[in-house]
This record gives sequence, C-alpha cells and structure tokens, in this order.
Amino acid sequence: MRKLSKLLLTLVFALSISSTSYAVTVASWGGAYTESQKLGYGDPTAKKLGIPINWVDYSGGLSEIKAQKAAGKITWDIIDVFAMDTINGCDEGLFVKFDFDKDFPAAPDGTKASKDFFTSMPSDCAVGNILYSWTYAYNDKTIGSNKPKTIKDFFDTKKFPGKRGIYKSAMHNVEMALAASGTKPGKGGKNIYKKLSKAKGLDAAIKKVEALCKDPNGGCVFWSAGAKPPELLMQGEVVMATGWNGRFFNAEVGEGAPLKQVWDAQGLDYQYMVVVKGGPNEADAMKAIAQMTSTEGLAGSAKYIAYAPWRKSSLKVIEAGEPWYKDGKTAMMTQMPTHPNNTKSYILIDPLFWADNGSEIGEKWEAMKSGL
Amino acid sequence: MSSETQQILTTDGIPLEVSLKKVERRNKFKAFLLVAPLLFFLLIVYISPIIGMLFNSVDDRMVTNALPKTFVAMEKWDGKELPSEEVFEAFYIDFQKLIEEEKEGKLSTQLNYEKNGFKSIIKKLRRKSKSFEEGNYKEQIMAVHERWSDVEYWRAIKRRAPSYSYSKYLKGVDMYQNQEGKFVQVEEDRRIYKKLWVRTLKIAFYVTLFCFLMAYPIAHLLATLPMKYSNLLMICVLLPFWTSLLVRTASWMILLQQQGVVNDFLVWIGLVADDERLVMMYNETGTYIAMTQILLPFMVLPLYSVMKTISPSLVRAGKSLGGTPFTTFWKVYFPLTIPGIGAGSLLVFILAIGYYITPELVGGASGTLISNMIAYHMKYTLDWSFASAMGLMLLAGVLAIYWVYNKLVGIDNIKLG
Repeated sequence: MRKLSKLLLTLVFALSISSTSYAVTVASWGGAYTESQKLGYGDPTAKKLGIPINWVDYSGGLSEIKAQKAAGKITWDIIDVFAMDTINGCDEGLFVKFDFDKDFPAAPDGTKASKDFFTSMPSDCAVGNILYSWTYAYNDKTIGSNKPKTIKDFFDTKKFPGKRGIYKSAMHNVEMALAASGTKPGKGGKNIYKKLSKAKGLDAAIKKVEALCKDPNGGCVFWSAGAKPPELLMQGEVVMATGWNGRFFNAEVGEGAPLKQVWDAQGLDYQYMVVVKGGPNEADAMKAIAQMTSTEGLAGSAKYIAYAPWRKSSLKVIEAGEPWYKDGKTAMMTQMPTHPNNTKSYILIDPLFWADNGSEIGEKWEAMKSGL
Repeated sequence: MSSETQQILTTDGIPLEVSLKKVERRNKFKAFLLVAPLLFFLLIVYISPIIGMLFNSVDDRMVTNALPKTFVAMEKWDGKELPSEEVFEAFYIDFQKLIEEEKEGKLSTQLNYEKNGFKSIIKKLRRKSKSFEEGNYKEQIMAVHERWSDVEYWRAIKRRAPSYSYSKYLKGVDMYQNQEGKFVQVEEDRRIYKKLWVRTLKIAFYVTLFCFLMAYPIAHLLATLPMKYSNLLMICVLLPFWTSLLVRTASWMILLQQQGVVNDFLVWIGLVADDERLVMMYNETGTYIAMTQILLPFMVLPLYSVMKTISPSLVRAGKSLGGTPFTTFWKVYFPLTIPGIGAGSLLVFILAIGYYITPELVGGASGTLISNMIAYHMKYTLDWSFASAMGLMLLAGVLAIYWVYNKLVGIDNIKLG
C-alpha cells in the first residue's frame, strides 16, 4: 500500500513537471471569448503542431505578468492584451520583440504578413488578433415601443429612464460621451481625440458621464468583466449597457436572449497577442502564436464569436464560407464590427493616446466616481 | 569574611556559576530553536515584504541612473525657463545610451507617472534621434514634438532627480511639492485619496458599530441559553464563517439586486411599488450590509467567550442588592464584557479598513474603499511604488489605531477567550 502511494506520488509529480514543461499557456479574458479562441484556433493549432495549449483566465492589465517576472516564476507564454498594454509591456521589456515577416506566415496568396494585417502594430511586441467593438445594447422586451438608435439616446434619461451599465474605467466612456454631446467623430474618431487631448474637452466628457450617473432618472452600474453587461440587461438591473459586441452577439444569437445592439459611434478597437519574454516555453509559444494568427487560424475563431479577424485574407475565407457561424445558418460578415453597415460612424480607439494620458484621465475619472 | 570567597566547584572542577550559566545558555538556545521556525516564517512572509514595500515606495534610482549627465547639467538650472543647450545635449547623450540598452521604454513609463504625455514623445524622439545631426540639440529635440519645448516637462524630469523621494506619500493625500518646495494640494477635480481615506474610516467605523449592536444580543443569548439550544445557535453563527467569502458576497448580490429576492418580496407584500424597487446594491448600502454580515462572527466569538466566563450569580447578587434589571446590566454585566467588546471591535475595525473584495463586488462607485484604489494602481496603472506607499499608509493607520486603543483601554484588557 505504502509503495503504491509512493509510486502514485512520483507519477503525479512527474506528470505535473512534464505537463508544464512542454505545454504552452495562454492567458485570455475568459467566457465566450476564450471559448472562441480555444475552439477556433487553439485546439486546431495544438493538434497540428502537437503542442498542448492551456487556457487560463485573467482580467486584463499587466500586473500579473509583472508580478510573475518579479517573483522569478513566469507561468504564462502568450497573453491576449489591449493595445495600450502591448505598448507598456514592450516598454517594460516584458514581451518578445517580433521580426514580423519572419515570425508570421504570409497569406495563402503570398501577401506578406505585414501587408495582410489591417494596419501596422502599435509596438514591436504585438501581433494582431481580432477587431472588436464597444457598442451598447438594450433589452428588446422591456425597452418599450420606442427603441434607442443613436449614441445620444444612451444619455437621454427622459426618453429612456433607468440605469446604465458602463465600463468601470475611463476608456471608451469619454470618447462615447463626447460623441453624444454632438462632436462628430470624423475619420476614425480623429475629432474626438483632438478634443480629448485638451483639458476642456476631457472635462466636458467626464462631466457628461457624471451627469448621467447623478441623474435621478439615470444612474450608473459599473462593470468590469465582459460577461456582465448582457447579464445586467437580462436581470433588468440596467436599461442599457455598453459592452463588447461579441459578448452581445453571443447572448443574442448563441443563447437567444432578446438583446439588440446599437452601432452608432461604436468604439472600434484591436486586440493583440504577445509572447512573454523568458516564458516557460518561449520557442513553442512562437510556433503556436504564428499558427494561431495565420489566415485559417483567425478565420476559425470567427466561427464562434462576432469579432473580426485582423487579417484581410481571413475575411475572404469567411466570406467564401458563409454562413460561417457554428450553427450553420447565421451569416457572420454583417455581425462584424468592420462591416460597412456598422461603421457609418465609429471611433478607432487610439492606443498611443491612452498610453500617454491613461493615468491622468484615470485619476480624473476615479475622482468623478468617488464623488458619486 | 575575606574578599576571596571560596568558589563552589562542581565535581568536574568547574565553578558552579559557570556551569550553571552554560546549562542555562543551552536551554535558551533550545528554546530559541523551538521558536526559530516561526520567527523565520514571520521574517520571510511578514517583515521582509513590509520592508520591501517601504523601499519600493521611496526608491527612485531607476530614473536617477538613467539620466546621470542630464541631472548634473540640470543642477545649475533654476527651472524658470527652458533649460540651456548644455542640458539638452546631456539628455541626448543619456538617451542614446538608453536606446542601446533598450531601457528608454522604462524611462518613459516612469516619467509618464510624473507627468502624462511622456510616452509618445519619447517614442517619437527615439525614432527621430537616429537622424540627428551633431550640435544644436536643443532645436532638434524641440522640433520632434511641441511638448519638448514646454518647460513643465523639463521640470517633471528634474523632480525625478533624487534617488529617494517621498513624493508618493504626498500623492496619497492629494498633495505635491511645487517648484519652490512648498506643499500644495492638487487641482480640485483630481482629489480622490483624502475623500477615500475618510470614507474608508467612516465605513469601517459604522460596520464595527452595526456588528456590535447585532452581536451583543446574539452573544448574550449564546452564553445564557442551555447547552442544547446554544450549540445549534453557535452552528448558525459559525456556518457562514466557514463559507467562502466570495460565495457569501455573491449570495448578497442575488438577494439585494433590484430584481433580487428582497425586492421581489417587498413588491409582493406591497410595501414597494414595482417601478420603485429599492437600490441596495452597487452603492454604500450594499457595502454596509454585506460587510456587516461577513464580519459579524468576528464580533460574536470574542463577546461570547467573555460572556461565558461571567458568573450568573454576579447579576443575581446585583438584583438582590436592589438593582433594577437595567442597573444590574449597566453597572455589573456590561463592564465585565468590555474586554470582549474591545477585542471584537478592534478585530472588526482592522479587518474592515483593509477590505477589498466585497466593496469591489457590491460597492459600486460610492462604496469603493482605499484598498480598491491600491488594487487599481497595482493592476492598471502599474505604479507599484505608489501602491506600496498607500499600503504602508494604511498599515500605519492601523498601528495608530492600535496605539490609541492601547492608551485608552489598554491592550491587556483584550480577551479573545
């Protein structure tokens, strides 16, 4: 008996060592999103390369990886991050700098990787993953006959009394507030950022949100996890909530919830992946990330969630394969944040603006929140 | 008697005194060995992180070492107008070295904490500085971006010259040291921390008060009921204590939300109209309710253990001497429970002041405490030195409360059982 347990112990120990020594660990945002990544390109990549891929959840920010590095025990290989964090993490020396065309495969038609992605990367450490969008949604069953259509309606508590669910940090909230006060976004939201970089414009934006939150007919519920906005809407805790379009799509199409999205002045944003410098399995991580962000890899994730792939060539794959959604009957292209119907008025979230001004805006934002 | 008293010797011929001391020393050493693991444990997991935090909060050598020449050149600069060519040249030389070592990104992060806007202009400078010509660096740097010709940015660099600074502590109370070395408050729309300190203390105080008001009768009941009932009651008190904190907080969310159980019930009995459901979550009320329930056992248990030791004959004696029920309670029973009240209050207050997860989940904006702000700087701005400074301020606050308590009531008067 004793021998047996000893044997078992050794076995468990050996297994735990071997499983950590060759698997690649990817940290992502959890929920429907991680699910789409895992099924869309994680599992196919693992199968093709013979490298097991583990998925762990985190809630954004660089603190965890910074702490792992400080403690000398890095457990993540690849992280799914915001644009701002690729800049900050690259500056801190946390991530591997890519040699883009060498590290990432070309499109099937031979277009170089750097030309196949929509725009250039915000930092040398980033590779594009998906484009997603900050939109707002409402519960179609409870909103009444008059439906919200514009970004102004989100702030209109007379027409639509009730609380609003908004993201807990300033990002996208201030852009949205300016657009709702009548600033035309301009090409990719240029006008918005011009105004926000002046103290006057920023203060006006924060005041606008404050007014909404202090309004007795309005009020704010702050969310942090992407799964929360659809939940808040379905519980009736709020009448409208901002959120990520893929999460709303998942609730609406995947789970049949009566939610409707409004695309006016949507905040279009990119999501990136990075490889951790000195991670447990850097070499395999580089192979895995190249495979996951390949043309068919990125197209694969769009089968499960309405986020647009970063590669132009992946969009072609989806278009040719419609209806692309996993249920076999929903067309994906019209659900994409990049579809012409959805980009009539949009703001392209500016990562450099946020890397520069994030902490100052954050202070003002928190000061506003603490006075609510 | 002569001064040279005969020394008492042991059988080995060693003086008894020496021998005794030796044994005593050996015993002391053994005793020390017994506590040594605990001592080392405390040193490693408790004392050293605190020292590390203290160091982290004042350490600013990264910037000092990154720009050595610049800071030497800046010594002569009075900070009134833009610095001279000499400073710009020194900055350029330092910066080139940083690019070689790939450290310019770290510098930009640090400087961005001091003044927002450094990130992009340092990135731009890195790109442009490759094609700089020799000489006249002032003009060339200023041509990269308009912010480089703003004196505020150069003042921000100079402020980071000392290797150690206490500026993060000032920031923790919404203040900073201006150009003339005076302490001034930051602009009104950026003052957060003082408000949060006051709110944290206020919430901790009220949570302690509510806990006391609820726990006192419960503990009294527990201590006086016959064993078979009190055991059951005790389990009721302890059961939530054994449940995970997250589970308890989440169940409060289900109870308190606008479409939640409590509101549904109130609507059902007709106390509240359907469209006027009470807002009990994502605000201060939620924080009060959830924290009071979660911390209640910490008040009940010390009170119970003290009340258990109070002999019922004391109260009877008071009554037989002619005291009304209230007088006997107030004059006899209550004073005897003070050690328990002290222990419970101190426990609850100290736990409440550093509470994080419950306010984060049910507190909303108006129920946020200072610990949520520390987490925010740990997680999102990555300004760990500022987070360390605030953590230490919180620790100092707790120690101060402990000290005041010791002066007022005396720490020996605390009883946990």
